[in-house]
Amino acid sequence: MPAADGMVVFTASDKVKARRKATMEFITLNHPVDCGICDKAGECTLQDYHFEYNGGASVSRDAKTHATKHFDLSDRIVLDNERCIQCTRCVRFTREISKSNGLGMLDRGDHSIVRPSADGSFAKDAYSDNVIDLCPVGALLAKDFLHKARVWYLKATPSVCPGCERGCGVNLWHRKDEWMLRSPRQAARNDGLDRVTPIENPAVNGPWVCNKARDLPKLLGRVRAAGALFKGAPAPLEAAVLEARALIAEAKRPVAVVSSWASNEELAAFKAALGGRLALVAKRDHEPQPGEVVQDDLLIRADKNPNAAGVRAVLGECGTEVPKDADLVLVWGEGFDFRAVPASAKIVFLNAFLAPENGHADVFLPVSIQTERSGHYTNFAGVTSRFERCFALPPGVLHAEDLFGSLVGNGRGA
Amino acid sequence: MRHLIPEFERMKERFPEGFDSSLVLPCLHRIQADRGYVAEEDIVGLCEYLSVPRIQVEEVLSYYTMLRREGIGKTHLQVCRNIACSMRGAEGVIEHACKRLGVKPGETTADGKFTLSTVECLGSCGTAPVLMVNDAYHENMTLEKLDALIADLSAGGGNS
Ligand code: SF4
Ligand code: SF4
Ligand code: FES
Repeated sequence: MPAADGMVVFTASDKVKARRKATMEFITLNHPVDCGICDKAGECTLQDYHFEYNGGASVSRDAKTHATKHFDLSDRIVLDNERCIQCTRCVRFTREISKSNGLGMLDRGDHSIVRPSADGSFAKDAYSDNVIDLCPVGALLAKDFLHKARVWYLKATPSVCPGCERGCGVNLWHRKDEWMLRSPRQAARNDGLDRVTPIENPAVNGPWVCNKARDLPKLLGRVRAAGALFKGAPAPLEAAVLEARALIAEAKRPVAVVSSWASNEELAAFKAALGGRLALVAKRDHEPQPGEVVQDDLLIRADKNPNAAGVRAVLGECGTEVPKDADLVLVWGEGFDFRAVPASAKIVFLNAFLAPENGHADVFLPVSIQTERSGHYTNFAGVTSRFERCFALPPGVLHAEDLFGSLVGNGRGA
Repeated sequence: MRHLIPEFERMKERFPEGFDSSLVLPCLHRIQADRGYVAEEDIVGLCEYLSVPRIQVEEVLSYYTMLRREGIGKTHLQVCRNIACSMRGAEGVIEHACKRLGVKPGETTADGKFTLSTVECLGSCGTAPVLMVNDAYHENMTLEKLDALIADLSAGGGNS
């Protein structure tokens, strides 16, 4: 009977509940119920519905049927065919959304089994990890997150993927305060991201993100620059800030190379403090990597930086090359080719990660990363999104937003 | 499969426009009739010809027990293992056939004479258990009838 105006539908009558119970009984007939070792436990709809509508053990007198448990679906995802309830959501995702046609349901009846296409198209699907969220059960799991944490040990902090100028909404998952790991061997994981999931935002990314967002724990988890440096030699932070200030004050033609990973707040602070004093060059901190999808029709954009539009909006049109006569270059962020700096020019470098270039600068200052502050990025379409702080600022590291004010003034005095 | 494309073109005319993927099944049947099985190059060629993704052809091949990826023996014994036949003794028939031929379901005898397969409902549940010898039905199968059938076929007794 099709739905019609004025129709009354009972969705929670005793009859409906009995049918749901029976359906749950059928779906769990051969389900392994290995929730205890399943990463989906705690956010599994099969668990939730079973709890709500059935709650009983399997009524089958026959032994449960078995299927492959650790099938390598790709180098990112493992498939547990015993947990699969054959809803085909994952298959449909690769047909209708990512269009890789990477997955299929082979065989039939209770032999039906999800398998990747023999042409390897699933492994190349730049959106493949969305099937992990789509899967109602723990049949599709991320290798990077496998057995890393129960989901209730984690909290989700709303953020923005910095992987390209789309700026997809993401939840960054990290350990709750009450579930911090105590053993020294594991404690480093407390300050790292465990996984990334999409935040649905129709104006930006719909319900999806690309695999690059899933790899943010690695990108943001790289070894950090731990302290200030004078030409590679460790220096006290305050002294380094004063030295940078003096170099800027003494320069006749200072230039700033601005980060397109900076937040709008950082850009505004930079403009207020130094905008009138330095010539501006806009930098792409990240370029497409070999093998990476450069641009497509779904989400992925060619500019692999989150806030190039913010740089334009706050600072106006900037130059693209460091002028030949510059005598001081303030470089903000990664991805700069230092060969572009005139030989006699001084270098002040602000970077978050450990890199050989850090030691070449006259003054190096370690700065915070996105997960240590909150702020906004503006994407290519002009949509501004907010990201929240996940972690405390590590010792010895500065927020660029706070730093710029201290770079204004005369000479080395206080 | 390329030499079959003119035939496929004529099949295409019977389908509404934009439904080329519906041709996967009839094309696979035709390919198998031609070669005896569906080879890797057939799959690649068919995907290209119909512009269908590879996985769609793999799904069809794995769903239908009558489609094969490998060649078979001269005589194909297909025993139904579905519910009506199972209730009327198909499991015994399969076991007996395995013993008599010395192969497991899906295998071919060393002399290349017999291939034994188990298949889903053959649509003849009223005369269960049923098996097919190549294209012919043999109904109300018993172990005695099976013995006689295999003896007859081994002696070169035709295709029925
Ligand atoms: S989404 Fe999960 S449960 Fe559904 S078919 Fe795919 S693997 Fe199975
Ligand atoms: S499309 Fe861009 S912003 Fe969105 S998840 Fe991928 S890299 Fe991140
Ligand atoms: S169940 Fe065997 S023919 Fe139908």
